[in-house]
Amino acid sequence: MTRTPREIAAWSIGLLVVLLYAMIPVMWILSLSLKPATELGDKRFIPKDFSLDNYDTIFSTSEFKHALVNSIGIAGIATLISIVLAAMAAYALSRLDFAGKTVILSGALAVAMFPPISIVGSLFNIWRDVGLYDTWPGLIIPYMTFTLPLAIYTLSAFFREIPWELEQAAQVDGATPWQAFRKVIVPLAAPGVFTAAILVFIFAWNDFIFANTLTSTDNARTVPATLAFFTGGSQFEQPIGAISAASIVVTIPIIIMVLFFQRRIVAGLTAGAVKG
Amino acid sequence: MRGGNLAGLGLAAIWIAALVGCGGGGGGGGAPTLNWYVFNEPGGAYEQAVKTCNEKAQGRYKINYVRLPTDANAQRELVVRRLAAKDSDIDIIGMDVVWTAEFAEAKWIKPWTGPRRLTATEGKLRGPVTTVRYKGKVWAIPFTTNTQLLWYRKDQVKRVPQTWDQMIDQAKRQGKSIEVQGNQYEGLTVWVNALIAGAGGSIVDQSGNVKVDASTSRAAEIMQKLANGAAPPGMATAKEDEARLGFESGRSNFQVNYSFVYASAGDLKNGFQKKMGWARYPRTDPGKPSRPPIGGINLGIGAYSKHANQAFDAATCLASPENQLVAAEKGGLPPTTESVYNDPKLKKAFPFAELLRQSIEQGAARPVNPAYSDISLAIQKTFHPPGSLSPGDAQSKLRDRIDKAAEGKIF
Amino acid sequence: MEAANVPATRTGSAPVEKPERKRMSDRARSERRLAWLLCAPAVITMLIVTGYPIAYAFWLSLQKYDLRFPDEKEFVGLSNYKDVLTSSTWWQDVWNTTIITIGSVTLELVLGMALALVMHRAIFGRGPVRASILIPYGIVTVVAAFGFRYAFDPASGFIQGLPLIPDDWAPLTDRGGSLLVIIITEVWKTTPFMALLLLAGLALVPDELHEAAKVDGANAVQRFFRITLPLMKPAILVALLFRTLDAFRIFDTVFIQTTGANGTESVSILGYNVLINRVNLGLGSAVSVLIFIFVILIAFFFVKVLGTSTAQQRGEV
Repeated sequence: MTRTPREIAAWSIGLLVVLLYAMIPVMWILSLSLKPATELGDKRFIPKDFSLDNYDTIFSTSEFKHALVNSIGIAGIATLISIVLAAMAAYALSRLDFAGKTVILSGALAVAMFPPISIVGSLFNIWRDVGLYDTWPGLIIPYMTFTLPLAIYTLSAFFREIPWELEQAAQVDGATPWQAFRKVIVPLAAPGVFTAAILVFIFAWNDFIFANTLTSTDNARTVPATLAFFTGGSQFEQPIGAISAASIVVTIPIIIMVLFFQRRIVAGLTAGAVKG
Repeated sequence: MRGGNLAGLGLAAIWIAALVGCGGGGGGGGAPTLNWYVFNEPGGAYEQAVKTCNEKAQGRYKINYVRLPTDANAQRELVVRRLAAKDSDIDIIGMDVVWTAEFAEAKWIKPWTGPRRLTATEGKLRGPVTTVRYKGKVWAIPFTTNTQLLWYRKDQVKRVPQTWDQMIDQAKRQGKSIEVQGNQYEGLTVWVNALIAGAGGSIVDQSGNVKVDASTSRAAEIMQKLANGAAPPGMATAKEDEARLGFESGRSNFQVNYSFVYASAGDLKNGFQKKMGWARYPRTDPGKPSRPPIGGINLGIGAYSKHANQAFDAATCLASPENQLVAAEKGGLPPTTESVYNDPKLKKAFPFAELLRQSIEQGAARPVNPAYSDISLAIQKTFHPPGSLSPGDAQSKLRDRIDKAAEGKIF
Repeated sequence: MEAANVPATRTGSAPVEKPERKRMSDRARSERRLAWLLCAPAVITMLIVTGYPIAYAFWLSLQKYDLRFPDEKEFVGLSNYKDVLTSSTWWQDVWNTTIITIGSVTLELVLGMALALVMHRAIFGRGPVRASILIPYGIVTVVAAFGFRYAFDPASGFIQGLPLIPDDWAPLTDRGGSLLVIIITEVWKTTPFMALLLLAGLALVPDELHEAAKVDGANAVQRFFRITLPLMKPAILVALLFRTLDAFRIFDTVFIQTTGANGTESVSILGYNVLINRVNLGLGSAVSVLIFIFVILIAFFFVKVLGTSTAQQRGEV
């Protein structure tokens, strides 16, 4: 199938447009983070002078470092628990036959549509009383709840594609149930689980409203909430440079994940949303 | 069963999470740690105050400086949330002057009674003392204060204007603008309150009686005139720092701002500071003296603190005249104790010390009322953006909103 | 034996012989028990963490409860709801939220469809395209909000340095400009997700139909509107449903860019202000419950009136 030069040219332009669309805002933030404080208002897209001052600033206090630890830990644990719970449910939903499947899936859909603001007030009050306010579990619990629907849908879609009879075949060949599970099913299920974990992690990493309202110190405040509360150079100063540097630091893992796993992520998103 | 394996894994994960999450915190024996929640003061003054007081304490307590964000709204949000969560972690609070009534009514701070009451107020300027009193009790010790002056370019302005109208006309004639804080935030309330007080009015009293009158229209008139004739671009999103930057860039010959702008100009090292002149906050009404805004930090004691006695002592030490002088020199924050204004070191840090003292003595505090944050929000919503104000409308809208705010309704 | 190994996505047909039916029942019963056991943790978590708080919010909303006046707590029935529903601020915020929702979802649909079409016909570079569009999806919303805010703010931005744009254009100081910046941010961030949803729907349109139409002389535009779009209707409706509900709940972007000033206050921001800033738990809970009801109404509208079918998501197709 030969492509005419016109088609190739048109497609190349399209590709370039898409790349620019995605990268211009990111490049802008990178540029802001590399500008020295005196040049923040010079209206240039590319900095005139490059400086790493902003990065020095954000790592010189413990505020941002704590926020990073909180983000990684909380999102990581929430992802782990959510995937475990969702995998169990997805296994049941895709392999077993029982009444109530529709109810559960509809319920999960409803949870995904839920407005977080409707429960932050209650959670604030409840966490206040039981002492979970400003703690890791205080955030882990809402995160794993709101990521369950996404995880369940993605994992169900993946599990539906697994040829489960291979497990039976392995047992006929002499493997114990556990061996069959470990050597046959786990490798088949791993990509799906991994993909679901990435999607869930991105969701938890991203949250702002819960992190903002259910924390008040760097005991548990994650990076998005910390960005909104950054302090500047003087009592009244806007910390544009610091926020930009912190933004880049927190975006790099996402970019790396996306670059390496784009095929998986797309497969997960489209499988979870529409059975393709 | 496979299901069982997975379920076990799940439980283990939850358990680990619980362990990790609940861990942390809890000190050992020794001197009790007192947490001082206050905004991050970049000049190093608060750090030094903490160090000095820890040395003086000789082991009776140890103050820990917990940094809050720079934005006053953000500070309040964080502190209120923790206090509402009955947090025993908060011992000393660096309270913005407008929080007193709200915190006192909500029982989030302890009153200063008996001999402590005298310690808190003796020797302090009148203005700051009004900000720590509510319903007959004293609820905090004034530490630093702040007020706004009119700053102008000595090399560009021959005759210093006395009133807002004069200043706006002058700026128009010169084709330059006036730097103010027009963003929808507490700074806007500061401006509005100063304008209204300057016309002899007030907004609401301690018991919640709404006193909105013609002075509100007058304030709206001035703001609208400035916004549509002598305002720099982005005025409606400008806070204190944007105003400072605008003035330093030369696009305005006037700015109304706190005293930190003088020290900041000194950092520029290009001779700009020498071109700065200062004068009293402009009058709203030519016949009445202006009522400059009063800001600042008072130190309150958290109601749920486990070491209240030590906290009172620590707060008294932090707010001592000695530390106030350090705050002035390093942080550009004016003192609340009258005697410090006679110190030659202070006059060196603030060449305008006498004007400061006078402004604070005669300044007008913002409304003292437990629903203050609602009232401020109502003012902000009514007066933003200043360019679209219609004076008659503003008065009725403000009255309506404050009525609702004082009753705890949506406005 | 074989029947048990096939992934059971539909109920098996009833066997004819009695002993087999008895075995099926036993097996079915133990399968059902296992299934519920496996689903239980997830289901219980979702129920407790969403169900209980919303019920509690409803309970709080029936009281006058302001943390700044702890002595004045009392049961007041539906009066908080009356207060919210008769306040012009609430309806103004609903309107603001609607404008943002309609504006961003419309743009996302158009741009997303274009992007999906382009990805569908990719000649080369599928990988880079996929990677690039996932970046807006993966970026923290707060980061994107800051980025666009600083870009459009004359004090720091580069937009004002572009030709044709006045040096002092400050969109974030007035309503139209603020809404514009918010919508642009939202559209940038979520168009890729929309595009992926639509791409999956595009893949379901059989090529043979296109071929047949080409033979009949239809051009690309006609084929798009007469074949592609109608066949994609279910996918489009599902995408619209998800995105509309998402957009209605908007919080992060508005909070970072304007904190609701300039007439951009969304209903979630109002809820936040009343609940967290004013610590008025009674009134704030009423706002929260009302937002929840509005979201249900939107979903209801999409499903019952527009005929959106979530059957695929529910595993029935």
